[in-house]
Amino acid sequence: MTPTLDRRAFLAAGFAAAAAAIVTPEMALAGAAPPAWLLGVGDVEADLPEQAMRLVHGRAPAGFAGRLYRNGPAKFRRGGSAAGHWFDGDGLVRKFEVQGGRARLTARFVDTPKRRLEARLGAMVQPGFGTPPGPGARIANTEDVNAANTGVMMAGGELLALWEGGSPARLDPASLETRGFRTFRPDLRYMPFQAHPRDEPGGAVWNMGLSGAQAIAWKLNGDGSLARADVIELPRRSYFHDFTATARHLVIVLQPWINESFRLPLATGMLWRPELGTQVLVLDKDDLSRRRIFELPSFAFFHLGDAWEESDGTIRFDGAFEADPSFGQRAAAALLRGEHHRMPHPILTQVVLRPDGRAELLPAGVAAEFPSSDRRFSGLARRYTNHVTHYRDTPFPHAIARWDWQSGRETLFDFGDHQLVEEFLFAPRGGGEGNGWLIGTTLNLARNATELHLLDAERLAAGPVASWRAALPLPLTFHGTFAA
Amino acid sequence: MPNLTQVLAAAFLAGAAPLAAQPPAPAPSPATAAPASLTLAFTGIARPEGFVMVALFDSEAGWRENRPVRTVRAAVAGASAQALFDGLPPGRYGVKSFHDMDGDGRMGTNPFGIPIEPFAFSNGARGAAGPAGWAEAAFELRAGANRHAIAIQ
Repeated sequence: MTPTLDRRAFLAAGFAAAAAAIVTPEMALAGAAPPAWLLGVGDVEADLPEQAMRLVHGRAPAGFAGRLYRNGPAKFRRGGSAAGHWFDGDGLVRKFEVQGGRARLTARFVDTPKRRLEARLGAMVQPGFGTPPGPGARIANTEDVNAANTGVMMAGGELLALWEGGSPARLDPASLETRGFRTFRPDLRYMPFQAHPRDEPGGAVWNMGLSGAQAIAWKLNGDGSLARADVIELPRRSYFHDFTATARHLVIVLQPWINESFRLPLATGMLWRPELGTQVLVLDKDDLSRRRIFELPSFAFFHLGDAWEESDGTIRFDGAFEADPSFGQRAAAALLRGEHHRMPHPILTQVVLRPDGRAELLPAGVAAEFPSSDRRFSGLARRYTNHVTHYRDTPFPHAIARWDWQSGRETLFDFGDHQLVEEFLFAPRGGGEGNGWLIGTTLNLARNATELHLLDAERLAAGPVASWRAALPLPLTFHGTFAA
Repeated sequence: MPNLTQVLAAAFLAGAAPLAAQPPAPAPSPATAAPASLTLAFTGIARPEGFVMVALFDSEAGWRENRPVRTVRAAVAGASAQALFDGLPPGRYGVKSFHDMDGDGRMGTNPFGIPIEPFAFSNGARGAAGPAGWAEAAFELRAGANRHAIAIQ
C-alpha cells in the first residue's frame, strides 16, 4: 500500500506489458514458472480458525464496525483430478469482522454433500458449470452437486451461502458452521436459487432460479421467510446469472447465450447466438403476468446493477457487458490451468428502457466488473456504481472505482499490479447516496496474503483509510454482503 | 447451473415417477423351474409415514421402458418397510422404489420436475442425473426364498 511499493509495481507493469507484446500466453507457459496470479485460483486445504489480521496502513474510522462476508471457490484439485472451471470449486465462506479498530478473519468451507463425497474419494468428480462428471459422481438432486460457492446473503439472522442451481446452504453467521440446506417450502425443495438477490425498498428481497425456458421468482420477507414463489415462462432459453429490479418491476436480461440442450458439464449445452440480439423482459412485481419485452443489440454479461424507474416510466439499470461470453465459456476454465486468454474486458453500460418500447445502451466506456451500489437506494433512482477495473496484464483487476452516472466521471484507486482486487461493497455512514465506505478484499501477490481495505467512498482516489493483512493468501472471491 | 434442474427432472421422471400408474405386465406363464420368492427390506426411511412404492422388473427392456412385472405398495413401519413377492421364476430382477411420504401414490416433484421424495434402486445402484442402469441394479433371484435390502435415501 505504500507509495514506494506502488511505484515499483507500476514500473514492473511497464516491463510486463512490453514482454506481453512479444510473448504469447502459450509461449509464456512453456517452461515458465506458473504466473503469480494463479494464487487467486489456488487451493485451501482446511478451514481457518478465527485469527487477527494485522493493521498495515491507516486506521479504522472511530465507530466503524461490521462484518464483511465473502464467498468464493477455494478447492479445485484433489489427487490428480481438477475442477474444469473457476465456477466449480468448493465454496469457502470468509468473515472479516471489524470492531474497535481491529479486524479478525474466519474462513470455513460450506460442508456440502459434494465436498464430503469428493473428500472421501480423493477426487473432483461432481459435475458443474464447466466440469464433467467423474468416476463415482452422485447426482440424485441439486443438493448433491451444489458447490455453495457464489455469494452470501443474510436472511432472518442466518447466513445463506448461495449458488445458482440449487438451494442456499444455511450457515451460522458467527461460527460459519453449515446447518444444511434451506428449503423455503417442502414442495420447493431442490429448486434453484441464484446468487444475486435484489433488495426492495421496505425490506423484501427478490431472487430468481432458472431452468431452461422457466424461472422461479422468489420473494422473501424481511425476516427471511418466504412471501411467495411463482414459476414464470421466459420467451427464450437464455442463461442468466443475475437479474435486477426496480421498486415495482423485475427486470430479466435475456442474452443470446442459449441453453440449447441439457448436457454435463452445463456450459457445453449453452450456445452463443448473437444473431438473436438481447431481450429485456420486464415484469410487474404485483402481477407477474403483466410483462413487456424490449429489444437490444446482442451482448453477454454476468452482472447487473440495481434498477430504478423514473416518473415518466423510464427504467434504467447498468451492468458489465461484454461482446460475447468467451470469458465464461473458455477463459474462466483456462484460469485453473494457469492460462490467461486475453480478451476485451466487460464495459460498464447503462440500459434505458423507454415507456414507448424503445431501448438503448449507454456505454460508460470504462472496463468494469462486480458492480455494487448503496443498498439503501436499491430499486430507487441512484447515481453511483462501484466496480473493479484496470485489468492490464493479468486476468484480474487491480483497481476499485466509483462511476458517477450524473457527471459521467469516475474516481478510482489503483492498488498496483501486485494486487488482485475483488468486489467492494458499500457500507453506509451518513444520509444521502454514496455517503459511506467501500469495504473489500484484495490478494496481495507481493506479500502472499489476503488484505482487507476500507476506503471513503467519496474520496476513493485517496486510497484506503485502513488496510489489514491476513497471515496467508486466500483465493479470490466472487460475491459478499456487508452486515453492520 | 440452470440446466441441471432440467437434466435431473427429465431423467428421473422417465424412471421413477409413474411407478404407481403403470399396470403390471401380465402374470408370467407358470414356470417350469421351482418358483422363487423375494422379500425386499427397505431401511433408512427418514420419516415414519406413507408408503414405499415398489416396482419389480425382470428384463433390461422392461427396466428401460418402465414396464414392471409386479408393483406393490408397502406400509412404512418406523424406519423400515417390507415388500414380499412370490411365485416368481428365478432369474435376474431389478427394483425401482420411492418413499411416497404423502401417500398420494405419485413421486412428488418440485415445480421443475425434480423428485422431492426419496428413492432407491436395487443393489444400492445410483444413477447420474437419472435412474440407475439395469446392469448396476439387476440381481439374481434363485429358487426358494430370497432377501434383498434397499436403503432409501
